[in-house]
Amino acid sequence: MAVSGDEWRGTGMTILGGIGFGAPWLLVALAALPILWLILRAVPPAPIRRRFPGVALLLGLQDDETVSDRTPWWLILLRMLAVAAIIIGLAQPVLNPENASNDTNGPKLIVLDGSWAGAIGHTRQLQGIEAELDRATSAGQPVAILQLTDPKSLVFLPAATVAASLTGLKPNPWQPTAENVATAITAITNANASSAVWFSDGLAFKGHDDILATLESVPDLRVLQGTHQIVGLTPATYGDGAINLSALRANARDAQDVIILAQGRDLSGNNATLATATAQFASGENTANTAMVLPSELRARVTAFEIQGLRAAGAKTLVDDAFQRREVALISGREGREGLELLSPLHYLNQALEPTADLLSGALVDVLPANPDVIVLADVAILSKAETTSLLDWVDKGGMLLRFAGPRTAASDISRTEEDPLMPVRLRSGGRSVGGTMSWGEPKSVAPFTESSPFFGLKVPADVLVSSQVMAQPDPTLAERVIAQLNDGTPLVTRKSIGQGQVVLFHVTANAEWSTLPFSGLFVEMLERLAVSSSATAPDATDLEGTIWTPRQVMDGFGTLRDAGTLQGVDGPDLIEGDTGPNLLPGIYTSGDRVLARNVISADGVLNVTNWPANISVSGYAIEPPRPLGGPLLALALLLLLADVIASLALSGRLLGQASRGTIAVLALGLILWQTPTANAQTSDIDIASELALAHIITGNKDVDEVALAGLRGLSDTLFFRTSIEPQEPVSVDLETDELAFFPILYWPITPEQRRPSIEAYAKLNAYLRSGGMILFDTRDANIAGFGSASPNGRKLQEIAGLMDIPALEPIPADHVLTRAFYLLQDFPGRHTSREVWVEASPANAEQAEGMPFRNLNDGVTPVVIGGNDWAGAWAITPSGGPMLPVGRGFGGERQRELANRFGVNLVMHVLTGNYKSDQVHVPALLDRLGQ
Amino acid sequence: MNTPATLRARSEDHAARLPPLLARAEQLAGAVLLGDHGRRRSGMGDDFWQYRPAQMGDSRRMIDHRRSAMGDQQFVREREWQIAQSVMLWCDQGASMRFTSNDNLPTKSDRARVLTLSLAILLNRAGERVGLTGTRLPPRRGNAQITQLAEMLSEDQDAEYSPPEHRAMIPNAAAMFASDFLGDIAPVELALTKAADRGVRGTLLQILDPSEEAFPFHGRTIFESIGGTVRHETLKANDLKDRYFARLAERKADLQCLCARTGWQYGLHHTESSAQSGLLWLYQAMNGGARV
Repeated sequence: MAVSGDEWRGTGMTILGGIGFGAPWLLVALAALPILWLILRAVPPAPIRRRFPGVALLLGLQDDETVSDRTPWWLILLRMLAVAAIIIGLAQPVLNPENASNDTNGPKLIVLDGSWAGAIGHTRQLQGIEAELDRATSAGQPVAILQLTDPKSLVFLPAATVAASLTGLKPNPWQPTAENVATAITAITNANASSAVWFSDGLAFKGHDDILATLESVPDLRVLQGTHQIVGLTPATYGDGAINLSALRANARDAQDVIILAQGRDLSGNNATLATATAQFASGENTANTAMVLPSELRARVTAFEIQGLRAAGAKTLVDDAFQRREVALISGREGREGLELLSPLHYLNQALEPTADLLSGALVDVLPANPDVIVLADVAILSKAETTSLLDWVDKGGMLLRFAGPRTAASDISRTEEDPLMPVRLRSGGRSVGGTMSWGEPKSVAPFTESSPFFGLKVPADVLVSSQVMAQPDPTLAERVIAQLNDGTPLVTRKSIGQGQVVLFHVTANAEWSTLPFSGLFVEMLERLAVSSSATAPDATDLEGTIWTPRQVMDGFGTLRDAGTLQGVDGPDLIEGDTGPNLLPGIYTSGDRVLARNVISADGVLNVTNWPANISVSGYAIEPPRPLGGPLLALALLLLLADVIASLALSGRLLGQASRGTIAVLALGLILWQTPTANAQTSDIDIASELALAHIITGNKDVDEVALAGLRGLSDTLFFRTSIEPQEPVSVDLETDELAFFPILYWPITPEQRRPSIEAYAKLNAYLRSGGMILFDTRDANIAGFGSASPNGRKLQEIAGLMDIPALEPIPADHVLTRAFYLLQDFPGRHTSREVWVEASPANAEQAEGMPFRNLNDGVTPVVIGGNDWAGAWAITPSGGPMLPVGRGFGGERQRELANRFGVNLVMHVLTGNYKSDQVHVPALLDRLGQ
Repeated sequence: MNTPATLRARSEDHAARLPPLLARAEQLAGAVLLGDHGRRRSGMGDDFWQYRPAQMGDSRRMIDHRRSAMGDQQFVREREWQIAQSVMLWCDQGASMRFTSNDNLPTKSDRARVLTLSLAILLNRAGERVGLTGTRLPPRRGNAQITQLAEMLSEDQDAEYSPPEHRAMIPNAAAMFASDFLGDIAPVELALTKAADRGVRGTLLQILDPSEEAFPFHGRTIFESIGGTVRHETLKANDLKDRYFARLAERKADLQCLCARTGWQYGLHHTESSAQSGLLWLYQAMNGGARV
């Protein structure tokens, strides 16, 4: 009996113990089973006929009892079970029966948290939403989706229309803000929905209860919440020679290990995993700490830490320049004065910079080739011509020259009549001295910093007094170059930019001779602001008072960084203290030369589980679809009856009566051999290496893998028929276990649920790409999305390819060698016909020779080809050789399939022959073919 | 049934069966001679009869190398008994003999034929005259007799349990009866007493299948004879086991008693044991029987 889908959906259903029955009255027949038991017991088994010569001796013997051997109880039980299975199977049981009564035709509201925590179970959440939409479609309900992190006014649309826009639904890297909550409440109140489904991310936020209260006014409210653990990372801190990391989780359950990856750039500038550490959550603990000890060189290259396997903004913490140590060269003019350590012009600088910077010392000409970030000239007045030139050159390229005045500077004629190129201002002769024994007046204090000054916001201690300084000549440019001044308006610090770099002059000495500035904390803070040193501790809000920070790169809900574009700047204190929201995205912010990372979870952040009141029932995302059990039960009954047949035969001795054990052994062996081909499908490495084989990466999605393998089989056949390439059977490759080196080309279809390869697999992939292998990435979605992260497949591709050694890409140029490696092609269609196929960018200096149809591009084979045309789908053939999937319509479709095959041929030719066809030798023949 | 085509097919079937039976019997006989070879008795030199050229069918160990070494031809030294003994054989060819409980074991009739023919070959080599009981094949000497014997032994009879042939017994001859003796015992008794009346001594070889000794049956069963003419139904086969054993033991005791009374020897052979052991016992028993 087959229970059709409509049958169980439409009819009223009696639910017994979680299983619905379409025909519950049939179950009454179960009561007849005991009677059946008695009958089965009473009836003797059929007699066995046996040939036996000794029967002559038996003649005349009588049986002692008239009752025959009874059927064994277990055989009766087997039969009873079979009968019971048939009865229950015919009663149309349905697992997870649907409660059709709740569905009305009124509008349905789907509410999402849409926070970063939702990114962890995003795929499953989407599936849950799709299931809801399916249900709404069948019930004819209009649907609106409300994302709490990004609430918009609600428009109820047919569910099918909403389903089409589902891919655009992305989690945001923030929790619903107060503003969001207010908007959402208004929207919900105005919507007047008749039913609502709330997909909660499982993380508590402010205003959650208000929204719940509003939603409870909706007649039918269901709450779904993912069961996955939410894990986040707090910002990494540096202390005691190690990077301290702590992971947070929302739900303190059993012990759990998370692996934290330090992501950064390797020596050649590619994204790479630099180190890993494991943090262990003890059972019942919400926090797990771990530390990473990295060499400073490696540490400086770390850009982010993330939790392995989680793609969420909260599970990633960005690193600003706090771990970077700047190279600072300290050069003083006064050398060789022994024993006067505290009078050394560099002493206080040494003290201030040593904790956070790598210090260089030596002669200027020796230091310059090391290309330090900062060069400090303490009271160095006269520079040789060569030194000036090279120093200027260095500053021009972004170096920062920090100069301190002093007796020598005051005594010299530097920048006197004409502005020295390495001085921000012209200086008056001799400087001035105030408040000393031989002078009038009081030592001068420092005026508060103006808004235009990089020091704006720093508190000026009262005890910072200046007794001597060099004086700037009044100039038209002077006002804009002053970044700090004394109370009487004379400049204390002046700055001038040269090219990409800058020159900063402190008009006092670097030691305590002329001022008390070097004693004070202000000195260190000023150096920090000038980015001479990076701060060892995270800045607090007061430190950043008055600064404006411009976002450079911001994270989305998945933790993927993107360029900030024209997002507006953020106030310093907000950046530290504010909650992330639509106006404060987590990411990398810059102000002047300083860089600050803003993460989703702040240093003292905690993750709290949503508390649902007792009257709200919360279920998981995975709403199991109703599953009719009738078929399996009837199949079970058949199996039981089959077992009964075998058991009866065995009992009566007829199972092995004629067929000897040998026959059965042969049958069993045959059965094993029959199964072996599937188990043994993976050919050995030797077989693969001995002949050319095409291969695809196993994605884990059975359908996709099947199509990919069939596609490669089709391409192999095409190659075999048309070219001298005669590949053997294509191979499915598991990235984690299989050797890649045997395959010239790997086809990699992208699925959103694919697992990201392990670090070892990435190493293998990168080695494969560097040694001349090619990967054809296929997002298979060119029909619905363009190239990029617009689709789940595209996002997945970006995520997977992020750690691979992939060079700069460009859309395939019209003169790429792929267009003529075997066939002359201009388009590369698969099942879809998008023209966006990306290959390695051609070198910038490639030029088109006069009269030649294409540029001279004798570089290597492109290591990747990326597109979304679902080529395997177009190549795929069935075992009988016919096409597996339809392409296009009618003759045009067949033409498209043909072109897809030609693209495959060209691709394999390109991999195997390199840029042979790019050689200009072929130009005449090609020109001829092109009809010129 | 007897159309020329089926006759031809059956003939070929028989013809095809004959050489293997003969070959197996010859092989079996060869193995027994090995054991008997060293047992020369004194006074044997007088029995020398003639040298004759070796023929096809003569075993190599029959060649007399002392004589053969004198020339290129090989000779066999033949002895002659003063009085050649006649040995009459009877092999049960009834349907009950065509039974085996296991594909790996020969049927009882197969074993009986092989043993009978092997014995015939041995006796023929020893110079005795061999034949079948009854009038079909009177005892004679020579290889042609063996061939005929093999042919007649290969025939099957339709009778469920065939009684021993007791007619035309030659006085003072020796005899060998091979059967399972599961049928009616009266004809056997008649044959033996009749033979004893004529001074015929011999051996009785009972050949049984292991399942006939073990009775490994359970449950409701209908036992049928091989021909299907006799049947017995029981509801609990394992209940019959003890009583069957008792009857089987009784039958064996009856046979032994009969043999003791008539001066015959009784032997029991199971098809799962090797044919050679059966032949060895048979040969010794016949020798003994012939000497008495």
